[in-house]
Amino acid sequence: MPLGIKPGHRARKSRGRLSPLTTLTLAVLAIALSAVSGGFAYFLPAAVVAFNSTSQTVQVPSPSPIDILFSPSPAPSPVQQQGAFTVLLLGSDDDSKCSCDHFLTQSMILMRVQPATKQVTMLSIPRDLYVHLSTGGSGKIDDAYSYGGAGAAIATVEQDFGVHVDDYIWVGLLGLIKVIDAIGGIDIVTSNPVMDDYYPADIYGGNPFGYERVAVLAGPQHLDGIHAMQYVRSRHSDLQSDFGRSKRQQQVLQAIRLKAKQLAPSDIPALAAAIGGELKTNFGLDQVAQLVPLAASFDNPDAINQVLLLPPYTEPGAPGGSLVPNWGLILPLVRQYFP
Amino acid sequence: MIAKFFLAVVLALLMVVTGLSSYVYIGSRQSKVAVAPQKPTAPTPHAQAFVLPGTIYLAQSGALYSLSAGRFHQLTPEVGWTQPSLYPDGSHLLAVKRSAFFSDVYELTTYGGVAAQLTNNAAPPRTAWDTGTNDWSFYPRLSPDQRTLWMSYDGPKYAYNNYFDVDMAVWAVPVGGSIRQGRAWTNANSYTGGDMQPIVVPGGIIYTKYSYDENGNRVGQLWFTNRAGSAGKALTSTGADCLEPALSPDGHSIAMICTYQKQVSYLTIASWNGSSLGGLQTLVTDQLVAEPIWAPDGSGIAYLAPGGPVAPFQLWWLPKDSYAPPPPSPIPTPTPTPGGPHNAPLPSPTPSPAPVAPVVKPIQVTTNLGFDATSPLAWSA
Repeated sequence: MPLGIKPGHRARKSRGRLSPLTTLTLAVLAIALSAVSGGFAYFLPAAVVAFNSTSQTVQVPSPSPIDILFSPSPAPSPVQQQGAFTVLLLGSDDDSKCSCDHFLTQSMILMRVQPATKQVTMLSIPRDLYVHLSTGGSGKIDDAYSYGGAGAAIATVEQDFGVHVDDYIWVGLLGLIKVIDAIGGIDIVTSNPVMDDYYPADIYGGNPFGYERVAVLAGPQHLDGIHAMQYVRSRHSDLQSDFGRSKRQQQVLQAIRLKAKQLAPSDIPALAAAIGGELKTNFGLDQVAQLVPLAASFDNPDAINQVLLLPPYTEPGAPGGSLVPNWGLILPLVRQYFP
Repeated sequence: MIAKFFLAVVLALLMVVTGLSSYVYIGSRQSKVAVAPQKPTAPTPHAQAFVLPGTIYLAQSGALYSLSAGRFHQLTPEVGWTQPSLYPDGSHLLAVKRSAFFSDVYELTTYGGVAAQLTNNAAPPRTAWDTGTNDWSFYPRLSPDQRTLWMSYDGPKYAYNNYFDVDMAVWAVPVGGSIRQGRAWTNANSYTGGDMQPIVVPGGIIYTKYSYDENGNRVGQLWFTNRAGSAGKALTSTGADCLEPALSPDGHSIAMICTYQKQVSYLTIASWNGSSLGGLQTLVTDQLVAEPIWAPDGSGIAYLAPGGPVAPFQLWWLPKDSYAPPPPSPIPTPTPTPGGPHNAPLPSPTPSPAPVAPVVKPIQVTTNLGFDATSPLAWSA
């Protein structure tokens, strides 16, 4: 026994060391774990936003007996097409005029998606349409959301239009602006100059009751979020008022879809940060994951039907400047596209 | 054998480095959709691999730039400058300076210095509270004698009493005079946005008029008028939905874009005889074409179009050979040679296949930039 080394010391020293195989295994595990952790940290904010925005519970109120009496027709039994579903897109006036949570829906688009045939039908519902609200009484259809949230809006559309709505997506004004900016703007052909001397300055104007001027020139161009919002939101210089605005909204939605096809999974956190609390849907995360590649596969613009309820489907003359629906014409049209 | 303590330290460091690397790597895999366009004067990359003749004036992010001999020069700061056009003698530029509530036309030197303000569209202080008392001026042009300013202007307005229609009309104003000395040449259709982008042609103006078609869609049409206040005449159909006219240097052709009421824009040309257009000839169909302009020497057409699915509007060049290929060289026909053989039949010419015009594709002149596609280009020789 060498001098200075006590019995058992070698064994203790051996217990303080690991074999190369164990070391290698630990190193590989550490690398894998930390790599996954890095990815987790990258996508965590997006996951939080997605968790908060998706799988929203919707309470669809049953129509009251009086509503059933006034309902233009009972909902037809839906003819199920392979995988087809109907989504109600809601764009809300979440401006700063009040601190309340009662937003009007400035945009309501009923969208039928048929994955098998890669066809989409978008029916723009005029915000001023005078209907029986699911929450009781009658009023403009954009009131439904303000009275009872997404559930009331869905129930109102279901009872009045005789359709079944599977899902909904709600986007706030700021959300649309931020989404468009997050994808780097959109390329679009604006169909005419959109001029408005009294456009609400409620987003960045500092005075929610103030006005600003808008001049979106005509032709092909690249629009950032704020100018795209001006293009779709202005209705003062449009003879078709809300209908013209609906056409522009559909143009912008298509431009967003085209641009979104270029996104990579790594863009998700930036998009999620942009959307923040400006998007709500009852879609679950698993459904969203399925929808993204589905949306990307719709590449034929001619397979997208755009439907507007122009006269004679609607006529002016209802209370408060709202529109009178001609259900005799509307319902057959709706049944044609939303079986 | 490796000491546990040492191993723990190394593994901890390894995990930190790997975790950060993983985070950074995933972040680096983002698409290019949200990448801001470069300034044209950015040193890298050298955008243009193709040198165009003369000097082209363009707008990006509120600044005017010139492109000459393959090099960009910034003429103005980024404060709302757009829509440059050249004086007929090439000595100066006209351009629009746009603010949040109004826009004005300025005379600039070709180096970007302000020589004069030609309009005054800001609301007077007494009505500044009313946004509708401001005015817009867009698309300025000068008459050949440089004494008349042509532009789209949104007066007079009737925005009071909840009448919200704002439509631009084409106005002619004496250079140096006020708008009160000017005159509206066109009468815009209500609730359309109005009449835009006048270009001066011999005997009148061609401009884009917006109207509602029979289906209620708002569409653009090229119109020609030779008299103030006259209705003029439509040069293109509502179905073609054409806009952004540009006159060729020889004055015999018009370049434009036509959308056929879809989210497309085709580069289109047509012959021009001074009062009507010939048939439309579509040159480019697979791009979102904007603001075509003829080369001063007639060697082709430049225009703006996206440089790819995620790139904003770039400068493109379409050589003349693509739309007016040179005539094929004549097929040589044998001729009898004096003193040749008598009574011998002449050899028949060998039939040769018809010459095929070379397919000339547009050339992308710039990359990574983001020009203002609502700003017409100006081009001096």
